[in-house]
Amino acid sequence: MKAPALAFTLSLFMPAAAHAAMPASDVIGQAIDGFIRPAYGDLAERTASLEKSVEALCATPSQAALDAARDGFAQAAQGWAKVELIMFGPIREGNRLERMLFWPDRKSIGLKQVQAALASKDPDAIDAEKIARKSVAMQGFGALEYVLYGTDADELATPEGGWRCAFGAAVAGNIATISANVRDDWNKPDGFAAIWSRPGPDNLTYRNGSEAVTELMGVFINGLEMVRDVRLRGFLGLRPEKDKPKQALYWRSQGTTASLAANLEGLGGLFRASHLADALSPESRWIAESIEIQFANGAEAARSVKGPTEEALGDPARREKLDYLGTVTSSLSNLFGVRLSGEFGLTAGFSSLDGD
Amino acid sequence: MRTPLIDRRDFLRAAGAGFAAAMTPSAWARTMTADAVFATAFVRRNGSYGAAVLSEDGKVLHTVDLPDRGHDVTFDPVSGRSVVFARQPGTFAMVFDHRGREEPLTIASLPDRHFFGHGVFSHDGALLYATENDFDNAEGMVGVYDAGSGFQRIGEFPTYGMGPHELLLLGDGRTLAIANGGIETHPDFGRAELNIATMQPSYVLVDRITGDLIEKHELPAELHKLSIRHMDTDAGGHVWFGCQYRGAATDLPPLVGKATRDKGISLIDMPQDVLASLRNYVGSVAANPETGLVAVTSPQGNSLAVIEAASGKVLSRQDMTEVCGIAPDGKGFLATTGGGVIVGPDGRSLDDPDHVWDNHMLRIEEA
Repeated sequence: MKAPALAFTLSLFMPAAAHAAMPASDVIGQAIDGFIRPAYGDLAERTASLEKSVEALCATPSQAALDAARDGFAQAAQGWAKVELIMFGPIREGNRLERMLFWPDRKSIGLKQVQAALASKDPDAIDAEKIARKSVAMQGFGALEYVLYGTDADELATPEGGWRCAFGAAVAGNIATISANVRDDWNKPDGFAAIWSRPGPDNLTYRNGSEAVTELMGVFINGLEMVRDVRLRGFLGLRPEKDKPKQALYWRSQGTTASLAANLEGLGGLFRASHLADALSPESRWIAESIEIQFANGAEAARSVKGPTEEALGDPARREKLDYLGTVTSSLSNLFGVRLSGEFGLTAGFSSLDGD
Repeated sequence: MRTPLIDRRDFLRAAGAGFAAAMTPSAWARTMTADAVFATAFVRRNGSYGAAVLSEDGKVLHTVDLPDRGHDVTFDPVSGRSVVFARQPGTFAMVFDHRGREEPLTIASLPDRHFFGHGVFSHDGALLYATENDFDNAEGMVGVYDAGSGFQRIGEFPTYGMGPHELLLLGDGRTLAIANGGIETHPDFGRAELNIATMQPSYVLVDRITGDLIEKHELPAELHKLSIRHMDTDAGGHVWFGCQYRGAATDLPPLVGKATRDKGISLIDMPQDVLASLRNYVGSVAANPETGLVAVTSPQGNSLAVIEAASGKVLSRQDMTEVCGIAPDGKGFLATTGGGVIVGPDGRSLDDPDHVWDNHMLRIEEA
């Protein structure tokens, strides 16, 4: 058995080739205070603004108010994309993750439910508390995007869109409530943050520093796989004739690439905040530098692809940028899953520890 | 509930089962000390994939290359052939001779199906059954392959649930036990899990001849995120299963259960420290019929726990980094890890410099 594995049975987090041992509690504490709490705080603010902008639209329908609500949606979706790859902790309680965004919705469950609610004017659908108990597919960003951008959404700018708007306000209110609750749960001094940042033999969830750091590393490794295999490859085919533009998240609001960029920016923010790079020896610092460069390259490539997804896929220059984004995420997967994991003694089968 | 159409003995005779094929679990137990080899998928340190046959002392006797990552291996004692399945959502399975005397043969899944990594032969070796995904309809299927005609796919039947994983052929030679993990996936979205909020795992018994559902058991509603995935049969014919939890990491639900024909399923209680060590994830389950033990492994928790089958009590637990592959050997178990280590029942370990071992290991009795 290799030496690094032994190091990880201690509550100290001791990188294999690093020059100094770093307590796991420091790394996790930095990740929480430096990124996770502020990012969920930002999300709670953005979603509260979104709720207000949709309510304002309902109160005084106009094109300007609709534009403001749509901008609120785009801003909130950006805030969500920064944190959505943190798929554990408070977001995992009570299906909050799926209630914020049920996607991919391969069988268009959400679309059908939203259309049915719009057609029947289901009275429960305009009540934020009641909507929270309905199908996860009709209470998050996917449902709200359809309300704000789907077929006939332009009627929101007129009094005729009153019921549709009330439904949108309920969904926005639900998103804001979940976001505020997740923020509050992370901020509790004796909540999940305390469990994660204090690994040890008495901690049933994180029994040592290695398990706590592995949870953090999993955000990068699983998150990058999701960005590439699910979000990007879900619509970007290996060949142009295999492209499926309507399988892109947020294609209706043209928010696909902004969301991808924010995913990478969120991961980059978490990486910096946790100061994982400080645990690397001088000879290995290049790994952290490469990670920073690739996060920036990936986010820049994604942000440079503008316009409707279908149009972007039809344009060889923009499609090439998306392909490049795939390459960047693969490179990042290698940097985290092989290089950085190797430095921290989390070698070999690390990527095999998923769902089989 | 449905009564089998043919008496078990008649059926075995009709199927032309040989002695080895018709062996009951207790007959297997008597051979546990016989010479055996072990088959497992692996990843080479250079990143390439394959399946290996290991001796009891951990020596690599034979390898076959695979185009992508493999998962579990099944063996037909009649023909002496083994089959390794691609890891989900893989589209190939490879038939090989563990002594390396025959060229491997590749089985491809249908265009609208993929494998889940597990399969089993009929006792007479005539048919191979594999869990598969009818992904466009989100339905679990069992694909049926004719070993006598180059493993042509000759049919399929449903698993009566989503995301089937491991399947076993029970001692009657006719009933398949299938773990429906309950999780919807689609190759368009890689390995993403699409229905966590509504997932509904189940343990089912299916008649392999008619494809009819014989029994179906679900977990209580509050445990609907407990994916039933891996299984083995103990000497008494009980099926032990291990689960993986998709809810919050702090929940610590029970992870191991037992199914008894006509009596349904039950989850066993474990001491909290043992349960915590499995970190909501059992990667493999193996029974040692000779000693009445059942072992479960967790590569997530770097933990191996041994349970007494008769009482359901945990007898021992040990830390083992990235342990997952497990198979009965001697008085205990042979275990493999994602770090390339092979640990024998006596605790002696061997660190293989060239391979890291995948999730499962199969014991193959040498005739």
